[in-house]
Amino acid sequence: MLPEITLAALFLLVSFQLIVARRLRTAVGAYQLQSWLLGGIAIALFVHTHLTELLLFGLLIVSLKGVAIPTLLRRRMRVALSAGRESSYHVGFPTALLLGAALSLAGFIAASRIPSPSHLLPGADLGIGIAVLLLGLFTTTARRDGVLQMGGLLAAENGLLLIGLVLAPRLSLLIEFALVLDVLIAVVVMSFLLARMREEVFSTDTSELTRLRG
Amino acid sequence: MIDAALLLAVLAVPLAAAVATWLVPGDDLRLILVVPTALVGLGLGLTLVARVVQRGRFTAFGDWLYLDHLGALALLIVTLVSALAALYSIAYFRSSANVHTLRAGETRRYFALFHLFVFTMVAATVAGNLGLLWTAVTATTFASAPLVDFYGSHGPLEAAWKFIMLAVAGELIALFGFLCLYASAVGWLGGSYNFAIPVLRAAGPHLSPTLATLGFLLVLVGFGTKAGLAPMHTWLPDAHSQAPAPICSMLSGAELNCAMLAIVRVLALATPAQHGGSELHSALLAFGLLSMAVGVVFLVSQRDYKRLLAYSSVDQMGLIAAGFGLGAPLAVFGALLQMLAHSLAKCLMFFNAGNLLLRFRTTTISEVRGMIRVAPAAAVLVLAGALAIAGAPPFGLFLSEASIVAGGIGARAFGAAGLIALLLLVGFLALVAPFSTMVFGEGRADPLPRRAELGAAVLLPGYVLLAAVLVLGVFVPGPLHTLLADAAREVRR
Repeated sequence: MLPEITLAALFLLVSFQLIVARRLRTAVGAYQLQSWLLGGIAIALFVHTHLTELLLFGLLIVSLKGVAIPTLLRRRMRVALSAGRESSYHVGFPTALLLGAALSLAGFIAASRIPSPSHLLPGADLGIGIAVLLLGLFTTTARRDGVLQMGGLLAAENGLLLIGLVLAPRLSLLIEFALVLDVLIAVVVMSFLLARMREEVFSTDTSELTRLRG
Repeated sequence: MIDAALLLAVLAVPLAAAVATWLVPGDDLRLILVVPTALVGLGLGLTLVARVVQRGRFTAFGDWLYLDHLGALALLIVTLVSALAALYSIAYFRSSANVHTLRAGETRRYFALFHLFVFTMVAATVAGNLGLLWTAVTATTFASAPLVDFYGSHGPLEAAWKFIMLAVAGELIALFGFLCLYASAVGWLGGSYNFAIPVLRAAGPHLSPTLATLGFLLVLVGFGTKAGLAPMHTWLPDAHSQAPAPICSMLSGAELNCAMLAIVRVLALATPAQHGGSELHSALLAFGLLSMAVGVVFLVSQRDYKRLLAYSSVDQMGLIAAGFGLGAPLAVFGALLQMLAHSLAKCLMFFNAGNLLLRFRTTTISEVRGMIRVAPAAAVLVLAGALAIAGAPPFGLFLSEASIVAGGIGARAFGAAGLIALLLLVGFLALVAPFSTMVFGEGRADPLPRRAELGAAVLLPGYVLLAAVLVLGVFVPGPLHTLLADAAREVRR
């Protein structure tokens, strides 16, 4: 149980890196590390339980989310990434950090009220999963930059997969494959829209997109 | 065996059409492909619905595919709306009045995504595995968001971005709900079981009540975002007004129902674990009433007719949610009929919006006047459609709305039923008034040359829909009544 908790704690820490990241490059790196850690948790769980589906799931996450998606992001976002442009929040950075801490706490409180049917992973991991889901969704709503909004959704999805490892560790691998594939398609469609955004308003700053009202 | 083949075919036809559209050379071939795809898809859909009506629900491929009465109703809506929207698309983009005719690359992109969008929606209606259901509903977002941005200018881009961000955020929350639902049956079925609708139905009252309730509430919030329920509806008026008119009709007429179908499916699965409790239904009713209220408030203050129709969708999806939330047999029956009638009427109204845009080149209500004098055949369709969508008597929506209100009164939910009736009345006025001034109003002279005349091709799909909505209001045909009644039995508590 020890490696799973340690990896999960690092997983949460890296998610905070995503919250405070001022550069897109840092955010993509944080997402990549987060995915590797998630894959690591699944593989560590496989070592304990010898359930083959967990090994396959871990490898799937590492290859798709740890390698393929970050590579795709770096390639599609080369212009935006190399600009090293600082990205801001609708709120200030300190406020964002505080809100992030509050959301993590909320995640742990919520997790303590959810009965966990399997005991493959400690309950703390459920709290971390919910916390990362909330942190990701918060990043999506609070960031101005489209690339980082997408990063928030991807991070939230990682949190969700950790929740899945706690609540439904033996869910059919085919379903999990479909879920992860869905994310890959999401990234392709969103990068397409981000590329369109750069054509249209010469940046991926979504505060330019406020014409439709009422 | 035949059922399995039919289910496979109804999925394969739009998917194959999408691939073929992408691969074949030349726009003529792509356009020719649209008509048989639409008709074959509709034929297969109707055949499957008829089989469900005659012989009850069935599964195929080890519960991966599943069609019950509820799914059949959604399949009927999706295949009908998408077939007519496909035909209208051709008429709309080829109309001499359209300033935006499709260029070479655009025909390919439009119809490939169109067929793909239909495929994802059909998949959502026939999914038997809950993981597949989530994946299919999510995939509808990815197929439709690029279509919202089809015109490729500032407004559509903003709409598409808001749509995809909020829809995906909602879908992730819904996935959390599905995971809770999976966990709720682990105690009864063991750690590794087939996460299929029939399996969970059979587990019924043995689900963990806490996890099942939590699962439903998360799915309600998550897919409620995609179904346009307030307060998560904020993307909808943008996406459903900025897309090309035929796409708007699919978004409002078909896609919203796929998300609602998923919510109702989870409601039906989670209810037995409640042992007669009604928390789930109360939550659905509360979201429904709030959505109606928000929808109606924005209807009253709307200046753009496409946004007016989009807010009407928020209002109507709220009504459907409220009908299911009331839980009384008559109200649930009304909500199901409302799903069908609203889809047909809203599809008709977005075809009308397309025709108005073709004729007047504006979406501002105050700039369109005296349509009855310049385009009488289209004006009649606009007026009749507005009355239908507002719920005036001879049309289908009147029947379904009356059923929902009567069901509420029968269940002694007087407050909710009264509020629904009041909101329907205000909504009626807010919808009919702007369209009637657009049709009859005295105003400036017709600014457009004669070449902006609307042809019969853009009017015909609308008249087909009008006839269907009218038939639903006069009498519900026998097989359809069976379908709705059996679907209601699958849902109610």
